[in-house]
Amino acid sequence: MSSRSDFFRETFASLRKDPLGMMGLIIVVVILLSAIFASLLAPHDPLEVDVYNRLQDPTWQHLLGTDQLGRDVLSRVLFGGRIALKVALVAISVSLGVGLLLGMLAGFGPTWLDRLLVVCFDTLRSFPTIMFALAIVALIGPSLNTVIGVIIITSIPVYARIVRTQTQALRNQDFILAERAMGASTARILGDHILPNIAAPLLILASMDVPAVVGMEAGLSFLGLGVSPPTASWGSILNDGYSYLRNSPWPIIAGGIPLILVTLGFTFFGESLRDILDPKLRRKGGAS
Amino acid sequence: MTTPVLDIRDLSVSYHTDRGLLRALRHVNIQIQPGRIIGIVGESGCGKSTLIAAIIRLLAPNAQIDGGSVLFRRNDLLGLDPEDMRALRGDEISLVFQDPMTSLNPVMTIGRQMTNIQYRENRSKAQMLARATSLLERVGIADPAEQLKRYPHHLSGGMRQRVAIAMALMTEPALLIADEPTTALDATLEVQIIHRLQQLQRDFGCAILFISHHLGVIAELCDEVVVMYAGEVVESGTTRDVFLKARHPYTRKLLECDPARIEQATRNLPVIAGKLPDLVDIREGCVFRSRCDSSIDRCARQRPALDGGDHCAACHVAGQ
Amino acid sequence: MSELLSVRDLRVRYRVDGGMTTMLDRNRRSYVDVVHGVSLNVGRGETLAVVGESGSGKTTLAMALCGLAPVLDGEVCFDGAVLTRGKDRYLQPDRRRIALMFQDAVGSLSPRMTVRKLLGEPFRIHSGLSDDPDRSALELMSMVGLTTDFADRYPHQLSGGQARRVCLARALAQKPDLLIADEPTAGLDVSIQGEVLNLLSDLQQELGLGIMIITHNLNIVRHVAEQMAIMYLGRFLEQGRSDRIIQRPRHPYTAALLAANPSTNPDAVPERIELTGEVPSLLQRPTGCEFRTRCPRAQADCRVSFPARESLNGKQAWNCFHAL
Repeated sequence: MSSRSDFFRETFASLRKDPLGMMGLIIVVVILLSAIFASLLAPHDPLEVDVYNRLQDPTWQHLLGTDQLGRDVLSRVLFGGRIALKVALVAISVSLGVGLLLGMLAGFGPTWLDRLLVVCFDTLRSFPTIMFALAIVALIGPSLNTVIGVIIITSIPVYARIVRTQTQALRNQDFILAERAMGASTARILGDHILPNIAAPLLILASMDVPAVVGMEAGLSFLGLGVSPPTASWGSILNDGYSYLRNSPWPIIAGGIPLILVTLGFTFFGESLRDILDPKLRRKGGAS
Repeated sequence: MTTPVLDIRDLSVSYHTDRGLLRALRHVNIQIQPGRIIGIVGESGCGKSTLIAAIIRLLAPNAQIDGGSVLFRRNDLLGLDPEDMRALRGDEISLVFQDPMTSLNPVMTIGRQMTNIQYRENRSKAQMLARATSLLERVGIADPAEQLKRYPHHLSGGMRQRVAIAMALMTEPALLIADEPTTALDATLEVQIIHRLQQLQRDFGCAILFISHHLGVIAELCDEVVVMYAGEVVESGTTRDVFLKARHPYTRKLLECDPARIEQATRNLPVIAGKLPDLVDIREGCVFRSRCDSSIDRCARQRPALDGGDHCAACHVAGQ
Repeated sequence: MSELLSVRDLRVRYRVDGGMTTMLDRNRRSYVDVVHGVSLNVGRGETLAVVGESGSGKTTLAMALCGLAPVLDGEVCFDGAVLTRGKDRYLQPDRRRIALMFQDAVGSLSPRMTVRKLLGEPFRIHSGLSDDPDRSALELMSMVGLTTDFADRYPHQLSGGQARRVCLARALAQKPDLLIADEPTAGLDVSIQGEVLNLLSDLQQELGLGIMIITHNLNIVRHVAEQMAIMYLGRFLEQGRSDRIIQRPRHPYTAALLAANPSTNPDAVPERIELTGEVPSLLQRPTGCEFRTRCPRAQADCRVSFPARESLNGKQAWNCFHAL
């Protein structure tokens, strides 16, 4: 009897009962699909320049208008989704993975290791992200990978800290002591007994982190520290749109909408997920 | 015939669960006369918690009252609206729980909590503190004035429970309901607290409904005892009658299982074989039948009614 | 001496971060001795009951023997071999040969594992215990009286008694020589306490296990243990053969514990020895005999020094100036 398929089925059933959560899930799915199938959905080539039709208001040809070089904003937004997706996926999975490892080591290992790691985490976290990004860009030059790198380095300490706290909370629980009494190795305890019991809150955190990461990429690209032209990212769309705001508001609106949708979608979904996965909230009523 | 303080008549309560309707209490009848100490004995699944929740009207949202009444001095508690019920709780009907932290607020000093409960009375602050101090003394707390300034987490488990009892008696209730108040405490403390409770009951004159699965404590403290099994009352009577001349097979077996009763050291302690019936799927006949040694044909077909006057048992083959 | 477990003068000390209060109040120590000099023996096929109330240190004693609590001092011999201590001062026993059953049975089972998976843990940790772990797991389940449909349940779906059995099955999977059971009957209904205890007895006879039972329930001791020890504030106040001690306790604390059991006979006149006051804090141990603050027989000399051990025929020993 697979516990995992039961888990998904139960979770999905509970999700159906929560309208906001469902809405969040739908938005997330729409965004994901539109990014994946951008090449099929985009009416124009996002890089195709048509200066005669610059800064147009929305028409049937260009549903979200055109930017200062006459490029179709809608297509740029759709392809921009791919950038956002790539950044979110890579940055979050790497920082989650590394943060998990370091956090478990800090939370479960000897005190000296814990102290050392905490000092590292706190030091990294004390740098303001923008300053950090500027410094890295000065060293390596602006690019999407720079953005991803900066996000990873600033996110690892956050995840690690949370994992550390969760691990510490579990390490003195009876079932962990029982495993130690039986002679289980540290690796077994961390992998089989600690990790599964902290995974749920982490997944929720990660899903709520997506809008923040996407926003960071947009911000950094807006400042010119990320993707370079002519690549379309939501941040660069906003950047261009800002410069030409007086001519046409549409690029700004178009660049902003996906950010809002991502935030709403992942936040609703993540919150709903948290309510569902929290075992204390699950059992209601007497005589279970 | 005096009016009972609490008169539970034919009370039935069920819960809506995923598996169906779980019939937690079925046709329960219990009477508590003023100034008496009634013990309810039963093991897990007997319905004690549901019973208390029903009396104080704090049942879980998935519960439903199938029938019966809970008369508190002639008023049916089941029919009262929430305002009136809230007025009764803590005033005429007080509670003490197994975990004293259920009644104690961790962020308020004991003194503040004990004066807060006196909000219904017209007393000055000094009077309220004096009353709190005197009650703490009566439950056996040394240096009560000092303890009033402390927070619950500064006190040991035993002291917290004494405070909880003091708070419950502060309003001089007509009925004190104590749900396993000493189960979590060490034996030596349990004995001390039971004695205090006895003394206090004599002084205050309240009726006490004492729930426990500690047979010895019930025998020592209570005047009358009600034995419950799987949601039904199977025997009730005075403590002497029930413990010395048990009529229902379950009561007899329960008493046999008490390791304290067994004089000869044995490696083969008695148990009650079998397990609790499924309360979602109650069969015909006697609820204890599947675990009973003395059952007859009739036990399978007809649910026995509580019968026998003062010492009654719900059993077709109950001894005399 | 075929002693399975031999403990001499065991001490477990924990640091207490007093911080300011420790600096300001010299009387408050910055450490607590939860186990304060304990000596005991458990023979093969024998059961020792360690009896004490909350705060006596009995659980910590069990933890220390299993390498889960730091040992300050003392010698522990298991099957003739002295156990060494690791860098963190924890004992390093042969973890396969000593099995521990926790007081909170449900809490000691990993919440996201099924019973089947939980019973497989000992086999995964110690290779060579079984050729067919799946089959062994099912055999263990039937040995403890659990039907196979329990195999796919999760710990939160088990009752207290069922969880206890799973813990017992898991402990037996290791094929231990010594089983330490911490409050095996706490929280269980009286009608099934007997089942767990009978099971332990049967298995002991079958497998020749040494058992150490930790309990606060004196009523069961006489039925399950040949030897017993009464623990208070980290020390044994009386120990020896349980039938002797129960029949004629020497230490006032033992007598009080024995008498603190209300009888189910309403006519019985209790010979109660009522103790006064509360258990002192481990941070402020009374001088001399630590029990004197609650003892009905305490006198002036009890304040001076901790009573030396007296014993009777090697079968019963106690520490009291004014023994019964």
